[in-house]
Amino acid sequence: MAAADVRDMLDLPAEGQPRPHKKQKVVEKRPEGITRELYALLGERAPPIAINENRYKGRPKWMSKLRVRPWRMAPFTNEARSDGLVLHHWQRQGDTVKPALEGPETEGEEQKQDEGAPQTPDQEYLFAKYNVKARVPRRYTDEEYNRHLKSDDWSRQETDYLMDLVEEYDLRWVVIADRYDFQPHPVDAETNNSALVPANQVRTMEHMKARYYFVAASMLALEHPPSEMSEAEFDLHEKMMKFEPERERARKELAALQLERTADAVREEGVLLEELKRITANEQNFIAERRELYSRLEVPISVGNTTMYQSSQGLSQLLQTLLQADKSKKRRSILGPEGAAPSPAAQTPAPNANTRDSRGETPSNAQAAPTNKKAAAAAAANKEAQQSIRTLTPSEEARYGVQHHDRLAPGVQFRSDRAQKLTQAKSNVQTQKLAAALAELEVPLRLVMPTERVCKEFEKLIHSVNLLLDARKVAEKVESEIRVLEAAKQERERKAKEAKEKEKPEVKTEQDDNPAPTADVATESTSAAAAALPSAEGQETAGGTEDKEAEAGSGDTGEATAREGTSQKRSASVLSNTSDKSTKRQKKYLLGINCLCHLLVSACTRNQDDDPQTSIRR
Amino acid sequence: MNPSIPPSTAEYGGDEVSAIVLDPGFSTTRAGFAGEDTPKSLIPTYYGKYTSEGQDRLIFSDDVFVTPRPSLSVHNPMGRDGIVEDWDMAEKVWEYSFTSRLTGPRPGNPFQNGLNDIADGELPTEMEGVETEEKPLADSPLLMSECGWNPTKAREKTIEIAMEKWGTPAFYLAKNGVLAAFASGKASALVVDVGASNISVTPVHDGMVLKRGVQHSPLGGDYISSQIRALFKANTPQPITITPHYLISSKTAVDAGQPSQAKYKTFPPGKAPDASYRTLLEERTLSEFKECVVQVWPGPNKLSATGPSGVSNEEVAKSNPGRPFEFPDGYNQVFGLDRYRVVESLFDAKAAIPDTESPFPAPTQAQTVPELIKNALNGVDVDIRPHLLANVVVTGASSLLHGFTDRLNQELMQTYPGPRVRISAPGNTAERKFGSWIGGSILASLGTFHQMWISKKEYEEHGPTIVEKRCK
Repeated sequence: MAAADVRDMLDLPAEGQPRPHKKQKVVEKRPEGITRELYALLGERAPPIAINENRYKGRPKWMSKLRVRPWRMAPFTNEARSDGLVLHHWQRQGDTVKPALEGPETEGEEQKQDEGAPQTPDQEYLFAKYNVKARVPRRYTDEEYNRHLKSDDWSRQETDYLMDLVEEYDLRWVVIADRYDFQPHPVDAETNNSALVPANQVRTMEHMKARYYFVAASMLALEHPPSEMSEAEFDLHEKMMKFEPERERARKELAALQLERTADAVREEGVLLEELKRITANEQNFIAERRELYSRLEVPISVGNTTMYQSSQGLSQLLQTLLQADKSKKRRSILGPEGAAPSPAAQTPAPNANTRDSRGETPSNAQAAPTNKKAAAAAAANKEAQQSIRTLTPSEEARYGVQHHDRLAPGVQFRSDRAQKLTQAKSNVQTQKLAAALAELEVPLRLVMPTERVCKEFEKLIHSVNLLLDARKVAEKVESEIRVLEAAKQERERKAKEAKEKEKPEVKTEQDDNPAPTADVATESTSAAAAALPSAEGQETAGGTEDKEAEAGSGDTGEATAREGTSQKRSASVLSNTSDKSTKRQKKYLLGINCLCHLLVSACTRNQDDDPQTSIRR
Repeated sequence: MNPSIPPSTAEYGGDEVSAIVLDPGFSTTRAGFAGEDTPKSLIPTYYGKYTSEGQDRLIFSDDVFVTPRPSLSVHNPMGRDGIVEDWDMAEKVWEYSFTSRLTGPRPGNPFQNGLNDIADGELPTEMEGVETEEKPLADSPLLMSECGWNPTKAREKTIEIAMEKWGTPAFYLAKNGVLAAFASGKASALVVDVGASNISVTPVHDGMVLKRGVQHSPLGGDYISSQIRALFKANTPQPITITPHYLISSKTAVDAGQPSQAKYKTFPPGKAPDASYRTLLEERTLSEFKECVVQVWPGPNKLSATGPSGVSNEEVAKSNPGRPFEFPDGYNQVFGLDRYRVVESLFDAKAAIPDTESPFPAPTQAQTVPELIKNALNGVDVDIRPHLLANVVVTGASSLLHGFTDRLNQELMQTYPGPRVRISAPGNTAERKFGSWIGGSILASLGTFHQMWISKKEYEEHGPTIVEKRCK
């Protein structure tokens, strides 16, 4: 501005022309009624609505170039009609003819004449193409009807009437069934409508459909035998032949029932559907979880080799070896500042563990570490919570499955594994025997449902079985000894007899001599039996009251038999008597052990029987 | 969009041939050009008749209401069931409906209109071929509506009038139920039409009426009027008399419930109009009452039943604020529960207000709207029932009663809890009042419809029986 003023004053020619122009333009663009600041906020683009327009909206420029094209009332005919009805509608004149320069009316009249005439022949009426009819089968001839389509239920007239209706209403069965009103005796149209003559039989939609489909399918088959039909035709034919009015009727009855449900029924259905949705969703979850669990369980288990690392000694040994391996590799930083356990990855190249074992081991360890930590944390939290809140009563503990361990073995192990381990004895023969005993009891080698209680019972059972096996072994040994001794005794008696026959006075001395060795044998056998006895007794205490009773009973019977034996063999000699006594005692033990074993097994099987129930109950 | 360019015909399928749509009803007759959205000509079907200077004179249209001429009597050519009784007068009323506003009056007899006054001594020449030019509908096809139960005779008579008396080039007779369904854009629907003289329920499938399902009962707007009259008669503290405006010369404002203080007009003996005139004008007051006061109990149960909270519906209705109404003579009153009671019998026949003098017999339960719908549905195939329930079209001026559609919806939901019930009732008053006319307007302006017309040629060939064959 200042520069312009100066130029003005000095009468200098204005050269900065464009600048003020630009400014002015911007100002012009800003509409009234809007502040500059607000306008600036709008930016480059124009406001979306005209804020203040005081002018009328002018015609667009292109419109002013157009000529007005007149409309006129033009006659037309519709090809869909058979009677050539001429109706009139408004039509734009310039549609086909170029904008006429001549304005006068007379010219237009002329144009109308030559335009209206050609319109009908060459230009089809726009809406005539929508005049479509449903495709109905060809009408049968008399001969065809008599040969193929005769029916007891449908007269020829009624069939004709039905076919007419179908054609008239374009196969809209709802309407056809609604309008169906066949009069068996043709009556005047007037009486027809005023007086309702009841039809002799009520035709349902299913009847009509069945009849029509039969006729249509027959006609289709007459035109093309089924072997020559195209696929679509054959499908149609099949469909029509297979129409079952009875089934359709039943379906409609059901549909009516469905429609007329009570509000309660509808509500119940809604609830059930909701429930079903929930159940299926839960089932999906359950299946997914179970699959995950199985995939975890299927990781190969290495039972034997982890045991050596479960003791602290083994662990420290492992650590040593690892450290040595590290040292040999000159890498010292394996033990972090936290002193964390070596990572599973570092563990794998351990020299003394073969690769297979380590592979089996790593995942379990890798899983064990976090779960252990978590468990520890959870336990700590639990302890705190328990201390702060309450202590559980024994019954509650049983219910929640809370257990207290004196000493926890490090690492994760499966309860079933522990039970499994019991079935493996030191010797192979023993293991087989164990398995045979279990098989005899019909107890599976691998527990089906290794719950806490089942495992405990299983442990007891295995223990008992072991005892049984031991006892049996001892019994066999003792029996064989008895057999040997009896054989020796007979031998001796035979010899003694012979000797008696020879010289009688010698007997006494022999009698004095003999007791020593027999007593030895007796003590031997009793010691052997006694060796078995304490263990049996120990087992009995574990076995429970039943076993004790059984033992007592067996003891009684043993005593009774012993008494009997003594009373029977009073007459026998002192020597034979003493040896007899020892064998009797041994026999008593054997009998007792056998009874015991029997009872034990029965108790165990009972336990085994009980357990699944209890586990199920839990 | 450029207004000077018409939408392409493919867009809406329209092709207007300047057809006239005539929708005659019991109370009003609607006429207009096809393609428009409301009828241009709306006249009462009632006409007045009086004698003046020894000649019988007729009054059509709204003129009936205006002047209480001596011995003016009011008649209706339609019967209460919606079927024409007096064909001569019906023809005149209908003709008036389109000639007065749409086509212009029929040119008078050239011998009498004064233009052709013959100079003395000249003989009138015979004019041949003038006859056709005189017909009022010579260049407009005519679409008429009829009720669903129109007998064949009446239909044939209708086409006879249209073809022979009015000379229309093409004619079609459509059921008003179908047209109302078209007006709401449906080819299949259950149309509930609440008119002045009838309630009708029409199942429509693919643009065709299912005749076995068509139901109607006389509980229309006039029945509600009779209920209101019964209510007024039993009103406390004093019965209310309706005095139409033409009998009031002046009035002063009075408090609610106080007797009116109005000066009445008196007619000298012999100069008073007929009683039917008074009834007609009372009816006008009553329709005002219906528009301002009457309300349908919206549900969910009957008015006499107990609501979900244990309070009876009547108590709830009572607690709603009342509505005041002032009668032409100045008497005014607030209507509380009573305004619900007058229409309750449309849904619950037991709730009808008894009135021995009423021309309407007490309604039966089968005549109520829910029962009609139930019967209509039972008359059609079970497969389309759910579809019909999802497309219930409510039309007719009496369906504009406050709360009518809500109640109907509740009733239907209770009767049919399973399928989806959907009521389509236009909120626009004109669309509800002229539903069937609008459907006719749409139909007659469709390009595809023009093959359906019964042309003059076909009529001449087959006679009036063609209407039964073509207009199915």
